[in-house]
Amino acid sequence: METSKASKDYADFLDKVKRTIYLDQLSPQVTTQVIKAALAQCANVVNVEFIVNYTIPYDIPSAALVELEDEMQAKAVVELTTDFPFIIGGMPRPVKATHAKAEMFPDRPPCPGIKKDFRWIKLGDDEFDSMNKQKILAKRQESENMALIKMQLEEEKELAKQQQEALDANCKKYDMLEVVVQNGGLRNLAHCYGVNLDD
Amino acid sequence: MNGNSEEIQFSWGKRRGKGGAKMDTQFYESFTLDNVQYSLYDCVYLFKHGDPEPYIGKIVKIWEQNQAKKVKILWFFFPDEIQRYFSGTVMEKEIFLASGDGIGLADINPLEAVAGKCNVLCTSKDERIRQPSPQELAMADYIFYRFFDVKHCTLSDQLPDKIVGLEVTILLNPKDEQVISNPSAVNVLPSPNVNEGLAATVPPLRSAVKEVGSSVAAVALPQPVSKEVDVNPPAAIPLSQSVVKEDQKPVTTIPFSQSVVKKEDKKSVAAIPYSRPAVKEEEKPVASTPPPRSAAVESVPKNTESQNAHAGERPPKRLKLSQEATVNTTSDVAEIRPLELPSLQADRSKWFNISWDEKLQIADDQGRLVYIQNLDIRFAAADIEELVRGALQLSCTARPINHPTYDDPNNGKAYCIFKSKNAADLAVSKINSGLVIGGRPLYSSKGLLKVPKSSGTLVGHLSVHNIKITQKQREEQKKAVSTSHCSQPNTIEYDLALDWMLLQEKQEQKFRILHKKHKDDRQGFASMGSKSVKAGK
Repeated sequence: METSKASKDYADFLDKVKRTIYLDQLSPQVTTQVIKAALAQCANVVNVEFIVNYTIPYDIPSAALVELEDEMQAKAVVELTTDFPFIIGGMPRPVKATHAKAEMFPDRPPCPGIKKDFRWIKLGDDEFDSMNKQKILAKRQESENMALIKMQLEEEKELAKQQQEALDANCKKYDMLEVVVQNGGLRNLAHCYGVNLDD
Repeated sequence: MNGNSEEIQFSWGKRRGKGGAKMDTQFYESFTLDNVQYSLYDCVYLFKHGDPEPYIGKIVKIWEQNQAKKVKILWFFFPDEIQRYFSGTVMEKEIFLASGDGIGLADINPLEAVAGKCNVLCTSKDERIRQPSPQELAMADYIFYRFFDVKHCTLSDQLPDKIVGLEVTILLNPKDEQVISNPSAVNVLPSPNVNEGLAATVPPLRSAVKEVGSSVAAVALPQPVSKEVDVNPPAAIPLSQSVVKEDQKPVTTIPFSQSVVKKEDKKSVAAIPYSRPAVKEEEKPVASTPPPRSAAVESVPKNTESQNAHAGERPPKRLKLSQEATVNTTSDVAEIRPLELPSLQADRSKWFNISWDEKLQIADDQGRLVYIQNLDIRFAAADIEELVRGALQLSCTARPINHPTYDDPNNGKAYCIFKSKNAADLAVSKINSGLVIGGRPLYSSKGLLKVPKSSGTLVGHLSVHNIKITQKQREEQKKAVSTSHCSQPNTIEYDLALDWMLLQEKQEQKFRILHKKHKDDRQGFASMGSKSVKAGK
């Protein structure tokens, strides 16, 4: 009885997973309402669950698990965001949407059939050494991962800075042009060079 | 008593005798600091203020006097410390034991300066020393076979008869841990509950886990049966020895992994002891008054070998405390059997409807929060809780906390909230001592991870400066945050957005490669490990 209920729960959960998309690179200012409005053009949002950051010691973008009405809508959203830059709240950094996976849900029901065997290993057992080495390996991999995250966040900051500078430069350029046009400087120049402005 | 989470766990172990001019000094044979058990003649790391590298020493005396806990440390020297006094080659991992008399032989330090266990083997060929096996040698952190006389500043490989007043046969490479525990077992007999527990669990205990159950049985009958202990001391002693021996083995694994960890994160370890001696100076008066009581409560569910000599002094208090402990542990034990009970427990917790984040914070403040890593990422909350119950006989609330974008999917992480601080401490030391789930060794630590508060804006959301905007435009801009659109190719914004998408793709690719490499490394390791085991067998 226990296992069949568990299997059913898990099957329902998997259905939900198929309908859910994982929205990443969100601004922390984005709320449920914003997401609902944003996706309204191609999908109906049933539920939004924001992912809380417990493990990454850096300032990372927001992310959310968005449950939609059906699988087709989920596919549509994912395709939309991969084909076009879809921007929610602020510009120009687009959001990223992918299909959700079961392990993304912190409140997931247990998967029936996962092996849950445990053993105790002590000093003197054959495998003790190898297990300790595996622990060290895991810890090293963790720090490698963190280093990669840190590097990527810095790359993002670099890009943002670059774009901001380019944007500011462009703004200045346009401002300058506007000023020149407005105060007639342009007409004078055109006259000097013999260029017809109305072309 | 449940202080803030920065308090370091401490409890006394076996007692030895009393001494001192005013008979106010209590000597001990072992203690547990930060969930690691240290005994007399163990080799440990110690940090000194201002020095980045630790010193290594051997504990030769442990005592408490006037609320101050002290250890006398016999020092080891590193080759570079005594370079000028000798020339010649130095073996790999070799250090030198101080001998003779004078400055530099041994020092008295506060107990809290101890920063971890160190596996140091004596490889002297003297006949009085037990020769270590090749496996032991390979696993040792350091070895020594030469002695540095601090008075004459000379190096010698002749084993002296006594160092710091102790016979070298006791001091170095004890044949069995029993050799140490023997004399004290005779001294500290009258502790009814522990010996009862030992008598009740004659069948050999294979893991420390079972001892929780045995001490439950012990606690249930403290007073009435106390008389019988004196009648059967001979029967009790051999049992205490055998249980002590069993107990020693799993416990010694903790320090090994601790010391391995210490090598890995030298930086973080160096950071902790800096603050520890400083913090501990203040906390000493606080920490040492609770030990008598906390030792009573903690030792009952944790260590059967911490012979509780308070028995004679304060029976009523201990009875009350032990009753509390009984209630806690029996409820844990009872949960294993019927299947309906766990769900009842879960429902009860929902009555209060506190959000998970609040629970986390409260638990961390009370020291009940444990962070477990290297789980299988597919485990759900219920799976983890079940595993904890099965392996540790403790109940907890668990929740997996991996971040889908950034966290390595090979390494599943979860927070577990236990019912009490002791349970959390126990869980940490047991998990770290060698719990393997599905071929993955777990490791854990206490406390909340420090995560910075979100800055409120997203990197990459640009703003246009230096335009004069009217009030109306400003309002529209505010509303604009909540809008969304698909960028069209005829704007500047499109190019910028594409830049971002390119960056994202690159980043995802990098993560994919890294995580795949991690996965392959782990599989390679696991298969290599199992191959060597098979070859060894």
